[in-house]
Amino acid sequence: MGRTQSDLLDMESKMPWHSRFDLLGITFLIFLGSALGALPSIEGSGRDLDYLGNLSRFLSQFFPPDWSILDRTLSGLLETVQIALVSTLLAIALSFVISLGASRNIAPAWVLWPTRMLLNMIRTIPSLLWALVAVVIVGSNSLAGVIALTLYSVGYLAKFFSETFESADLSAQHALKSLGAGPLQAFQYGLWPNARPIIWSHCLWMLEYNIRSASIIGYVGAGGIGLHLKLYAESADSWNKFSLVLLCILVVVTILDFTGEKIRHAIRQKLEGSNQTKP
Amino acid sequence: MSRPSTLLEARNIGLRLDERWLFRNLSFSIPTGAFISLTGPSGVGKTSLLRILYGELSPTEGELSSPLEKPSSQAMIFQDLQLAEGAATLTNVLSGSLGRHSSVKTFFGFPQIEKKQGLALLLQFGLERKSSQWASTLSRGERQRLAICRSLLSRPTLLFADEPVASLDSEWADKTLCTLHDSQIKTGGSIVCSLHDELQVQQFSNYILRLNPSDPSAWTWEEPNPIF
Repeated sequence: MGRTQSDLLDMESKMPWHSRFDLLGITFLIFLGSALGALPSIEGSGRDLDYLGNLSRFLSQFFPPDWSILDRTLSGLLETVQIALVSTLLAIALSFVISLGASRNIAPAWVLWPTRMLLNMIRTIPSLLWALVAVVIVGSNSLAGVIALTLYSVGYLAKFFSETFESADLSAQHALKSLGAGPLQAFQYGLWPNARPIIWSHCLWMLEYNIRSASIIGYVGAGGIGLHLKLYAESADSWNKFSLVLLCILVVVTILDFTGEKIRHAIRQKLEGSNQTKP
Repeated sequence: MSRPSTLLEARNIGLRLDERWLFRNLSFSIPTGAFISLTGPSGVGKTSLLRILYGELSPTEGELSSPLEKPSSQAMIFQDLQLAEGAATLTNVLSGSLGRHSSVKTFFGFPQIEKKQGLALLLQFGLERKSSQWASTLSRGERQRLAICRSLLSRPTLLFADEPVASLDSEWADKTLCTLHDSQIKTGGSIVCSLHDELQVQQFSNYILRLNPSDPSAWTWEEPNPIF
Protein backbone atom coordinates (compact mmCIF):
# COMPACT_ATOMS: atom_id res chain seq x y z
CA MET A 1 0.00 0.00 0.00
CA GLY A 2 1.11 3.53 -0.70
CA ARG A 3 3.81 2.46 -3.15
CA THR A 4 4.26 4.82 -6.04
CA GLN A 5 5.14 3.78 -9.54
CA SER A 6 8.72 5.00 -9.13
CA ASP A 7 9.07 2.84 -5.99
CA LEU A 8 8.05 -0.18 -8.03
CA LEU A 9 10.47 0.71 -10.85
CA ASP A 10 13.17 1.18 -8.23
CA MET A 11 12.39 -2.25 -6.75
CA GLU A 12 12.55 -3.85 -10.17
CA SER A 13 15.94 -2.32 -10.95
CA LYS A 14 17.28 -3.62 -7.62
CA MET A 15 16.30 -7.20 -8.46
CA PRO A 16 19.43 -9.35 -9.00
CA TRP A 17 20.31 -10.08 -12.65
CA HIS A 18 19.80 -13.82 -12.24
CA SER A 19 16.18 -13.41 -11.10
CA ARG A 20 15.25 -13.23 -14.78
CA PHE A 21 16.30 -16.84 -15.27
CA ASP A 22 13.40 -18.95 -14.19
CA LEU A 23 13.02 -22.67 -14.87
CA LEU A 24 11.84 -22.01 -18.42
CA GLY A 25 14.76 -19.71 -19.26
CA ILE A 26 17.40 -21.99 -17.75
CA THR A 27 16.14 -25.17 -19.39
CA PHE A 28 15.88 -23.41 -22.76
CA LEU A 29 19.49 -22.20 -22.43
CA ILE A 30 20.67 -25.71 -21.52
CA PHE A 31 18.81 -27.14 -24.52
CA LEU A 32 20.19 -24.52 -26.93
CA GLY A 33 23.75 -24.98 -25.61
CA SER A 34 23.61 -28.77 -25.90
CA ALA A 35 22.14 -28.67 -29.42
CA LEU A 36 24.80 -26.25 -30.65
CA GLY A 37 27.47 -28.31 -28.88
CA ALA A 38 26.25 -31.43 -30.71
CA LEU A 39 26.55 -29.83 -34.15
CA PRO A 40 30.28 -30.62 -34.80
CA SER A 41 29.72 -34.35 -34.07
CA ILE A 42 27.08 -34.76 -36.79
CA GLU A 43 29.04 -36.03 -39.80
CA GLY A 44 28.11 -37.22 -43.25
CA SER A 45 29.96 -39.90 -45.18
CA GLY A 46 32.75 -37.48 -46.00
CA ARG A 47 32.53 -38.32 -49.69
CA ASP A 48 31.53 -35.75 -52.23
CA LEU A 49 28.13 -37.10 -53.24
CA ASP A 50 25.55 -35.55 -55.51
CA TYR A 51 22.84 -35.37 -52.88
CA LEU A 52 20.20 -33.68 -55.02
CA GLY A 53 20.89 -35.95 -58.00
CA ASN A 54 20.56 -39.05 -55.84
CA LEU A 55 17.33 -37.81 -54.37
CA SER A 56 15.72 -36.92 -57.70
CA ARG A 57 16.78 -40.24 -59.31
CA PHE A 58 15.30 -42.15 -56.36
CA LEU A 59 12.06 -40.17 -56.19
CA SER A 60 11.50 -40.38 -59.95
CA GLN A 61 11.03 -44.14 -59.55
CA PHE A 62 8.03 -43.41 -57.30
CA PHE A 63 6.03 -41.93 -60.17
CA PRO A 64 3.54 -42.63 -61.44
CA PRO A 65 2.08 -44.71 -58.59
CA ASP A 66 0.89 -48.17 -59.66
CA TRP A 67 -2.91 -48.08 -59.21
CA SER A 68 -3.34 -51.75 -60.17
CA ILE A 69 -2.60 -52.79 -56.57
CA LEU A 70 -5.18 -50.46 -55.03
CA ASP A 71 -7.53 -53.27 -53.89
CA ARG A 72 -4.78 -55.21 -52.19
CA THR A 73 -3.50 -52.03 -50.55
CA LEU A 74 -6.92 -51.03 -49.23
CA SER A 75 -7.49 -54.44 -47.64
CA GLY A 76 -4.05 -54.17 -46.02
CA LEU A 77 -4.96 -50.73 -44.73
CA LEU A 78 -8.24 -52.06 -43.35
CA GLU A 79 -6.32 -54.68 -41.42
CA THR A 80 -4.01 -51.94 -40.13
CA VAL A 81 -6.96 -49.85 -38.92
CA GLN A 82 -8.50 -52.94 -37.27
CA ILE A 83 -5.25 -53.69 -35.44
CA ALA A 84 -5.15 -50.09 -34.24
CA LEU A 85 -8.80 -50.10 -33.10
CA VAL A 86 -8.55 -53.34 -31.12
CA SER A 87 -5.21 -52.48 -29.54
CA THR A 88 -6.39 -48.99 -28.56
CA LEU A 89 -9.52 -50.40 -26.92
CA LEU A 90 -7.50 -52.95 -24.96
CA ALA A 91 -4.96 -50.28 -24.01
CA ILE A 92 -7.69 -47.93 -22.75
CA ALA A 93 -9.13 -50.63 -20.48
CA LEU A 94 -5.72 -51.62 -19.09
CA SER A 95 -4.54 -48.02 -18.78
CA PHE A 96 -7.59 -46.96 -16.77
CA VAL A 97 -6.83 -49.51 -14.07
CA ILE A 98 -3.06 -48.94 -14.12
CA SER A 99 -3.39 -45.14 -14.14
CA LEU A 100 -5.29 -45.21 -10.85
CA GLY A 101 -2.17 -46.82 -9.37
CA ALA A 102 0.04 -44.14 -10.94
CA SER A 103 -1.93 -41.10 -9.70
CA ARG A 104 -0.47 -39.32 -6.72
CA ASN A 105 -3.89 -38.16 -5.49
CA ILE A 106 -5.40 -41.67 -5.66
CA ALA A 107 -2.76 -44.35 -4.96
CA PRO A 108 -0.55 -44.79 -1.87
CA ALA A 109 3.21 -44.37 -2.40
CA TRP A 110 3.98 -48.11 -2.29
CA VAL A 111 1.70 -48.63 -5.30
CA LEU A 112 2.58 -45.35 -7.01
CA TRP A 113 6.32 -45.78 -7.51
CA PRO A 114 6.40 -49.40 -8.75
CA THR A 115 3.56 -48.59 -11.18
CA ARG A 116 5.38 -45.54 -12.51
CA MET A 117 8.61 -47.51 -12.87
CA LEU A 118 6.74 -50.18 -14.84
CA LEU A 119 5.24 -47.56 -17.14
CA ASN A 120 8.65 -45.96 -17.68
CA MET A 121 10.04 -49.35 -18.66
CA ILE A 122 7.21 -49.99 -21.11
CA ARG A 123 7.71 -46.58 -22.71
CA THR A 124 11.45 -47.14 -23.11
CA ILE A 125 10.82 -49.94 -25.63
CA PRO A 126 9.83 -48.67 -29.11
CA SER A 127 6.76 -50.11 -30.83
CA LEU A 128 8.86 -51.88 -33.48
CA LEU A 129 10.70 -53.79 -30.76
CA TRP A 130 7.41 -54.76 -29.07
CA ALA A 131 6.27 -56.01 -32.48
CA LEU A 132 9.41 -58.13 -32.86
CA VAL A 133 8.87 -59.68 -29.43
CA ALA A 134 5.20 -60.35 -30.20
CA VAL A 135 6.03 -61.95 -33.57
CA VAL A 136 8.52 -64.23 -31.85
CA ILE A 137 5.84 -65.30 -29.35
CA VAL A 138 2.64 -65.60 -31.43
CA GLY A 139 4.00 -65.75 -34.97
CA SER A 140 3.73 -63.42 -37.91
CA ASN A 141 0.10 -62.26 -37.91
CA SER A 142 -2.15 -59.40 -36.90
CA LEU A 143 -2.53 -60.76 -33.33
CA ALA A 144 1.16 -59.92 -32.89
CA GLY A 145 0.35 -56.38 -33.99
CA VAL A 146 -2.47 -56.07 -31.47
CA ILE A 147 -0.28 -57.35 -28.62
CA ALA A 148 2.60 -55.05 -29.57
CA LEU A 149 0.53 -51.89 -29.91
CA THR A 150 -1.51 -52.62 -26.78
CA LEU A 151 1.62 -52.89 -24.65
CA TYR A 152 3.20 -49.87 -26.29
CA SER A 153 0.05 -47.73 -25.87
CA VAL A 154 -0.41 -48.65 -22.21
CA GLY A 155 2.94 -47.02 -21.43
CA TYR A 156 1.67 -43.71 -22.79
CA LEU A 157 -2.07 -43.81 -22.06
CA ALA A 158 -1.66 -44.82 -18.42
CA LYS A 159 0.77 -41.93 -17.96
CA PHE A 160 -1.63 -39.48 -19.66
CA PHE A 161 -4.60 -40.75 -17.65
CA SER A 162 -2.78 -40.46 -14.34
CA GLU A 163 -1.61 -36.95 -15.21
CA THR A 164 -5.21 -36.07 -16.05
CA PHE A 165 -6.45 -37.39 -12.70
CA GLU A 166 -3.71 -35.46 -10.93
CA SER A 167 -4.36 -32.17 -12.68
CA ALA A 168 -8.17 -32.38 -12.92
CA ASP A 169 -10.27 -29.84 -11.09
CA LEU A 170 -10.67 -31.37 -7.62
CA SER A 171 -13.11 -28.80 -6.27
CA ALA A 172 -16.27 -30.69 -7.27
CA GLN A 173 -14.94 -33.87 -5.68
CA HIS A 174 -14.22 -31.90 -2.53
CA ALA A 175 -17.67 -30.29 -2.55
CA LEU A 176 -19.40 -33.67 -2.87
CA LYS A 177 -17.34 -35.16 -0.04
CA SER A 178 -18.43 -32.28 2.15
CA LEU A 179 -22.06 -33.02 1.22
CA GLY A 180 -21.62 -36.56 2.56
CA ALA A 181 -20.59 -38.51 -0.56
CA GLY A 182 -18.25 -41.48 -0.12
CA PRO A 183 -14.82 -41.62 -1.82
CA LEU A 184 -16.06 -43.68 -4.80
CA GLN A 185 -19.12 -41.44 -5.23
CA ALA A 186 -17.00 -38.29 -5.04
CA PHE A 187 -14.67 -39.75 -7.68
CA GLN A 188 -17.49 -40.91 -9.95
CA TYR A 189 -19.59 -37.73 -9.79
CA GLY A 190 -16.97 -35.09 -8.90
CA LEU A 191 -13.58 -35.94 -10.42
CA TRP A 192 -14.46 -38.31 -13.28
CA PRO A 193 -16.81 -35.88 -15.16
CA ASN A 194 -14.03 -33.28 -15.20
CA ALA A 195 -11.36 -35.80 -16.26
CA ARG A 196 -13.45 -37.78 -18.78
CA PRO A 197 -13.36 -35.29 -21.70
CA ILE A 198 -9.59 -34.92 -21.41
CA ILE A 199 -9.13 -38.67 -21.14
CA TRP A 200 -11.23 -39.20 -24.27
CA SER A 201 -9.06 -36.65 -26.10
CA HIS A 202 -6.01 -38.68 -25.15
CA CYS A 203 -7.71 -41.88 -26.37
CA LEU A 204 -8.46 -40.32 -29.76
CA TRP A 205 -4.86 -39.14 -30.03
CA MET A 206 -3.64 -42.65 -29.18
CA LEU A 207 -5.90 -44.15 -31.85
CA GLU A 208 -4.42 -41.82 -34.46
CA TYR A 209 -0.95 -42.65 -33.26
CA ASN A 210 -1.66 -46.39 -33.33
CA ILE A 211 -2.89 -46.28 -36.91
CA ARG A 212 0.42 -44.66 -37.85
CA SER A 213 2.35 -47.22 -35.80
CA ALA A 214 0.27 -50.11 -37.15
CA SER A 215 1.33 -49.08 -40.65
CA ILE A 216 4.98 -49.69 -39.83
CA ILE A 217 4.98 -52.71 -37.48
CA GLY A 218 4.00 -54.96 -40.40
CA TYR A 219 7.58 -54.41 -41.51
CA VAL A 220 8.67 -56.95 -38.90
CA GLY A 221 5.72 -59.26 -39.60
CA ALA A 222 3.07 -58.00 -37.19
CA GLY A 223 0.30 -57.71 -39.77
CA GLY A 224 -1.20 -54.86 -41.75
CA ILE A 225 0.04 -52.59 -44.49
CA GLY A 226 3.65 -52.57 -43.26
CA LEU A 227 4.21 -55.99 -44.78
CA HIS A 228 3.29 -54.59 -48.21
CA LEU A 229 5.78 -51.75 -47.71
CA LYS A 230 8.50 -54.24 -46.88
CA LEU A 231 7.77 -56.42 -49.92
CA TYR A 232 7.78 -53.52 -52.37
CA ALA A 233 10.89 -51.94 -50.83
CA GLU A 234 12.84 -55.19 -51.13
CA SER A 235 11.82 -56.18 -54.64
CA ALA A 236 13.45 -54.33 -57.51
CA ASP A 237 11.51 -51.81 -59.58
CA SER A 238 8.54 -51.71 -57.21
CA TRP A 239 8.97 -48.18 -55.95
CA ASN A 240 5.86 -47.11 -57.88
CA LYS A 241 3.86 -49.69 -55.90
CA PHE A 242 5.59 -48.51 -52.70
CA SER A 243 4.51 -44.96 -53.50
CA LEU A 244 0.85 -46.00 -53.89
CA VAL A 245 0.92 -47.60 -50.43
CA LEU A 246 2.49 -44.45 -48.98
CA LEU A 247 -0.15 -42.35 -50.70
CA CYS A 248 -2.98 -44.44 -49.24
CA ILE A 249 -1.44 -44.24 -45.75
CA LEU A 250 -1.06 -40.48 -46.17
CA VAL A 251 -4.74 -40.09 -47.07
CA VAL A 252 -5.96 -42.17 -44.12
CA VAL A 253 -3.65 -40.46 -41.63
CA THR A 254 -4.57 -36.99 -42.89
CA ILE A 255 -8.30 -37.69 -42.59
CA LEU A 256 -7.72 -39.05 -39.09
CA ASP A 257 -5.56 -36.13 -38.03
CA PHE A 258 -8.14 -33.68 -39.28
CA THR A 259 -11.20 -35.31 -37.68
CA GLY A 260 -9.33 -36.15 -34.47
CA GLU A 261 -8.19 -32.54 -34.07
CA LYS A 262 -11.71 -31.25 -34.77
CA ILE A 263 -13.23 -33.56 -32.17
CA ARG A 264 -10.55 -32.77 -29.58
CA HIS A 265 -10.99 -29.06 -30.15
CA ALA A 266 -14.78 -29.34 -29.76
CA ILE A 267 -14.41 -31.32 -26.53
CA ARG A 268 -11.93 -28.81 -25.12
CA GLN A 269 -14.18 -25.90 -25.99
CA LYS A 270 -17.22 -27.53 -24.46
CA LEU A 271 -15.37 -28.30 -21.24
CA GLU A 272 -13.87 -24.83 -20.91
CA GLY A 273 -17.38 -23.49 -21.46
CA SER A 274 -18.60 -20.21 -22.77
CA ASN A 275 -19.56 -18.74 -19.43
CA GLN A 276 -17.03 -15.92 -19.78
CA THR A 277 -18.86 -14.51 -22.79
CA LYS A 278 -22.43 -14.98 -21.63
CA PRO A 279 -24.12 -12.48 -19.30
CA MET B 1 -38.68 -34.72 13.87
CA SER B 2 -37.41 -32.88 16.91
CA ARG B 3 -34.56 -30.54 16.31
CA PRO B 4 -32.41 -28.78 18.90
CA SER B 5 -33.24 -25.13 19.41
CA THR B 6 -29.65 -24.08 18.75
CA LEU B 7 -27.93 -25.46 15.67
CA LEU B 8 -24.52 -23.94 16.18
CA GLU B 9 -22.84 -21.87 18.82
CA ALA B 10 -19.68 -19.83 18.39
CA ARG B 11 -17.74 -18.75 21.48
CA ASN B 12 -15.05 -16.07 21.24
CA ILE B 13 -13.81 -17.23 17.87
CA GLY B 14 -11.11 -15.27 16.11
CA LEU B 15 -9.07 -15.76 12.97
CA ARG B 16 -5.62 -14.44 12.16
CA LEU B 17 -4.37 -14.66 8.60
CA ASP B 18 -0.97 -13.30 7.48
CA GLU B 19 -0.29 -11.59 10.84
CA ARG B 20 -3.64 -9.79 10.70
CA TRP B 21 -6.74 -10.45 12.76
CA LEU B 22 -9.84 -10.63 10.57
CA PHE B 23 -12.20 -10.90 13.55
CA ARG B 24 -11.90 -11.62 17.28
CA ASN B 25 -14.08 -12.52 20.26
CA LEU B 26 -16.93 -13.39 17.97
CA SER B 27 -19.79 -15.04 19.90
CA PHE B 28 -23.26 -15.85 18.68
CA SER B 29 -25.62 -18.74 18.36
CA ILE B 30 -27.67 -19.89 15.40
CA PRO B 31 -31.21 -20.81 16.42
CA THR B 32 -33.50 -23.12 14.48
CA GLY B 33 -35.44 -21.50 11.66
CA ALA B 34 -33.26 -18.42 11.29
CA PHE B 35 -31.95 -16.50 8.30
CA ILE B 36 -28.66 -14.94 9.30
CA SER B 37 -26.96 -12.44 7.04
CA LEU B 38 -23.23 -11.92 7.14
CA THR B 39 -22.12 -8.59 5.75
CA GLY B 40 -19.10 -6.36 5.49
CA PRO B 41 -16.86 -5.04 2.74
CA SER B 42 -14.89 -7.41 0.49
CA GLY B 43 -11.86 -8.95 2.17
CA VAL B 44 -13.26 -8.54 5.68
CA GLY B 45 -13.34 -12.31 6.26
CA LYS B 46 -16.88 -13.40 5.40
CA THR B 47 -15.76 -16.42 3.37
CA SER B 48 -13.26 -17.43 6.06
CA LEU B 49 -15.91 -17.16 8.76
CA LEU B 50 -18.33 -19.30 6.72
CA ARG B 51 -15.60 -21.91 6.23
CA ILE B 52 -14.94 -21.94 9.97
CA LEU B 53 -18.65 -22.41 10.72
CA TYR B 54 -18.82 -25.16 8.07
CA GLY B 55 -15.86 -26.89 9.72
CA GLU B 56 -13.40 -26.56 6.85
CA LEU B 57 -11.11 -24.11 8.61
CA SER B 58 -10.02 -24.00 12.24
CA PRO B 59 -10.33 -20.70 14.08
CA THR B 60 -7.14 -19.27 15.57
CA GLU B 61 -8.94 -18.91 18.90
CA GLY B 62 -12.29 -19.76 20.43
CA GLU B 63 -14.52 -22.73 19.82
CA LEU B 64 -17.64 -23.93 18.08
CA SER B 65 -20.19 -26.39 19.30
CA SER B 66 -23.03 -27.99 17.45
CA PRO B 67 -25.43 -30.84 18.13
CA LEU B 68 -25.49 -31.57 14.38
CA GLU B 69 -23.52 -34.32 12.75
CA LYS B 70 -21.39 -33.23 9.86
CA PRO B 71 -21.50 -33.78 6.92
CA SER B 72 -25.03 -34.89 6.06
CA SER B 73 -26.78 -32.17 8.03
CA GLN B 74 -24.75 -29.25 6.71
CA ALA B 75 -24.15 -27.91 3.25
CA MET B 76 -22.29 -25.01 1.70
CA ILE B 77 -22.91 -23.07 -1.49
CA PHE B 78 -19.35 -22.18 -2.43
CA GLN B 79 -18.44 -18.87 -3.99
CA ASP B 80 -16.50 -20.71 -6.70
CA LEU B 81 -19.47 -23.10 -7.09
CA GLN B 82 -17.30 -26.26 -7.36
CA LEU B 83 -19.43 -27.95 -10.01
CA ALA B 84 -18.54 -31.05 -12.02
CA GLU B 85 -18.04 -29.18 -15.30
CA GLY B 86 -18.17 -32.19 -17.61
CA ALA B 87 -21.33 -33.64 -16.07
CA ALA B 88 -24.91 -32.85 -17.06
CA THR B 89 -26.81 -30.19 -15.14
CA LEU B 90 -29.22 -32.79 -13.73
CA THR B 91 -26.33 -35.04 -12.63
CA ASN B 92 -24.78 -32.10 -10.80
CA VAL B 93 -28.03 -31.48 -8.93
CA LEU B 94 -28.51 -35.17 -8.15
CA SER B 95 -25.00 -35.47 -6.74
CA GLY B 96 -26.35 -33.42 -3.82
CA SER B 97 -28.24 -36.56 -2.77
CA LEU B 98 -25.16 -38.83 -2.69
CA GLY B 99 -24.93 -38.67 1.11
CA ARG B 100 -28.28 -40.48 1.38
CA HIS B 101 -27.30 -43.47 -0.80
CA SER B 102 -24.56 -46.07 -0.88
CA SER B 103 -21.89 -46.09 -3.64
CA VAL B 104 -23.32 -49.36 -4.94
CA LYS B 105 -26.77 -47.84 -5.30
CA THR B 106 -25.56 -44.75 -7.15
CA PHE B 107 -23.00 -46.54 -9.34
CA PHE B 108 -25.41 -46.98 -12.26
CA GLY B 109 -27.49 -43.87 -11.64
CA PHE B 110 -29.79 -42.20 -9.13
CA PRO B 111 -33.10 -43.45 -7.66
CA GLN B 112 -36.24 -42.24 -9.46
CA ILE B 113 -37.46 -40.30 -6.44
CA GLU B 114 -34.26 -38.23 -6.39
CA LYS B 115 -34.55 -37.61 -10.13
CA LYS B 116 -38.06 -36.27 -9.64
CA GLN B 117 -36.94 -33.93 -6.91
CA GLY B 118 -33.88 -32.86 -8.88
CA LEU B 119 -36.02 -31.99 -11.90
CA ALA B 120 -38.47 -30.12 -9.66
CA LEU B 121 -35.58 -28.01 -8.33
CA LEU B 122 -34.32 -27.33 -11.86
CA LEU B 123 -37.84 -26.22 -12.82
CA GLN B 124 -38.04 -23.96 -9.80
CA PHE B 125 -34.72 -22.33 -10.73
CA GLY B 126 -35.46 -22.04 -14.46
CA LEU B 127 -32.89 -24.65 -15.57
CA GLU B 128 -35.24 -27.45 -16.67
CA ARG B 129 -34.46 -26.99 -20.38
CA LYS B 130 -30.74 -27.31 -19.73
CA SER B 131 -30.93 -30.49 -17.66
CA SER B 132 -28.86 -32.55 -20.10
CA GLN B 133 -26.26 -29.86 -20.90
CA TRP B 134 -22.80 -29.93 -19.36
CA ALA B 135 -22.42 -27.53 -16.45
CA SER B 136 -19.48 -25.91 -18.26
CA THR B 137 -21.81 -24.69 -21.02
CA LEU B 138 -24.09 -22.71 -18.69
CA SER B 139 -23.76 -18.99 -18.02
CA ARG B 140 -22.36 -17.81 -14.69
CA GLY B 141 -25.82 -17.02 -13.33
CA GLU B 142 -27.16 -20.40 -14.38
CA ARG B 143 -24.16 -22.12 -12.79
CA GLN B 144 -24.82 -20.27 -9.55
CA ARG B 145 -28.45 -21.42 -9.54
CA LEU B 146 -27.26 -24.96 -10.29
CA ALA B 147 -24.94 -24.92 -7.26
CA ILE B 148 -27.88 -23.76 -5.14
CA CYS B 149 -30.07 -26.62 -6.45
CA ARG B 150 -27.36 -29.16 -5.57
CA SER B 151 -27.07 -27.84 -2.01
CA LEU B 152 -30.84 -27.82 -1.57
CA LEU B 153 -31.17 -31.42 -2.73
CA SER B 154 -28.78 -32.48 0.01
CA ARG B 155 -31.47 -31.20 2.43
CA PRO B 156 -29.15 -29.68 5.01
CA THR B 157 -30.35 -28.59 8.41
CA LEU B 158 -27.79 -25.82 8.37
CA LEU B 159 -27.02 -24.23 5.03
CA PHE B 160 -24.09 -21.89 4.50
CA ALA B 161 -24.13 -19.73 1.39
CA ASP B 162 -21.20 -17.65 0.23
CA GLU B 163 -22.66 -14.77 -1.80
CA PRO B 164 -25.21 -17.06 -3.44
CA VAL B 165 -26.84 -14.31 -5.49
CA ALA B 166 -23.72 -12.39 -6.56
CA SER B 167 -24.07 -13.40 -10.23
CA LEU B 168 -27.86 -13.20 -10.46
CA ASP B 169 -30.00 -10.35 -11.78
CA SER B 170 -32.24 -8.68 -9.19
CA GLU B 171 -35.32 -10.71 -10.13
CA TRP B 172 -33.55 -14.07 -9.78
CA ALA B 173 -31.69 -12.83 -6.70
CA ASP B 174 -34.92 -12.07 -4.84
CA LYS B 175 -36.56 -15.27 -6.02
CA THR B 176 -33.55 -17.31 -4.97
CA LEU B 177 -33.31 -15.73 -1.53
CA CYS B 178 -37.05 -16.29 -1.03
CA THR B 179 -36.66 -19.96 -1.95
CA LEU B 180 -33.61 -20.43 0.28
CA HIS B 181 -35.42 -18.66 3.12
CA ASP B 182 -38.62 -20.68 2.76
CA SER B 183 -37.06 -24.08 2.23
CA GLN B 184 -34.73 -23.73 5.20
CA ILE B 185 -37.16 -22.19 7.61
CA LYS B 186 -40.10 -24.46 6.78
CA THR B 187 -38.01 -27.55 7.38
CA GLY B 188 -36.76 -26.25 10.71
CA GLY B 189 -33.29 -25.53 9.39
CA SER B 190 -31.32 -22.32 9.28
CA ILE B 191 -29.26 -20.46 6.74
CA VAL B 192 -26.15 -18.33 7.14
CA CYS B 193 -25.66 -16.25 4.05
CA SER B 194 -23.06 -13.66 3.12
CA LEU B 195 -24.68 -10.77 1.24
CA HIS B 196 -23.61 -7.40 -0.12
CA ASP B 197 -26.92 -5.79 -0.96
CA GLU B 198 -28.29 -3.94 2.10
CA LEU B 199 -31.88 -4.11 0.81
CA GLN B 200 -31.68 -7.90 0.62
CA VAL B 201 -30.08 -8.00 4.05
CA GLN B 202 -32.93 -5.98 5.56
CA GLN B 203 -35.63 -7.87 3.70
CA PHE B 204 -34.69 -11.43 4.63
CA SER B 205 -32.68 -11.44 7.85
CA ASN B 206 -33.70 -12.49 11.30
CA TYR B 207 -30.19 -11.66 12.44
CA ILE B 208 -27.38 -9.65 10.89
CA LEU B 209 -23.70 -10.12 11.68
CA ARG B 210 -21.61 -7.20 10.44
CA LEU B 211 -17.85 -7.56 10.34
CA ASN B 212 -15.72 -4.46 10.67
CA PRO B 213 -12.62 -4.09 8.47
CA SER B 214 -10.90 -1.50 10.68
CA ASP B 215 -11.40 -3.21 14.05
CA PRO B 216 -11.59 -7.02 14.25
CA SER B 217 -13.40 -6.89 17.59
CA ALA B 218 -15.93 -4.26 16.53
CA TRP B 219 -18.35 -6.67 14.84
CA THR B 220 -22.04 -6.15 15.51
CA TRP B 221 -24.94 -8.57 15.92
CA GLU B 222 -28.29 -7.06 15.04
CA GLU B 223 -31.67 -8.62 15.63
CA PRO B 224 -34.14 -6.93 13.28
CA ASN B 225 -36.52 -9.87 13.30
CA PRO B 226 -35.49 -12.22 16.11
CA ILE B 227 -36.94 -15.67 16.64
CA PHE B 228 -38.46 -16.42 20.01
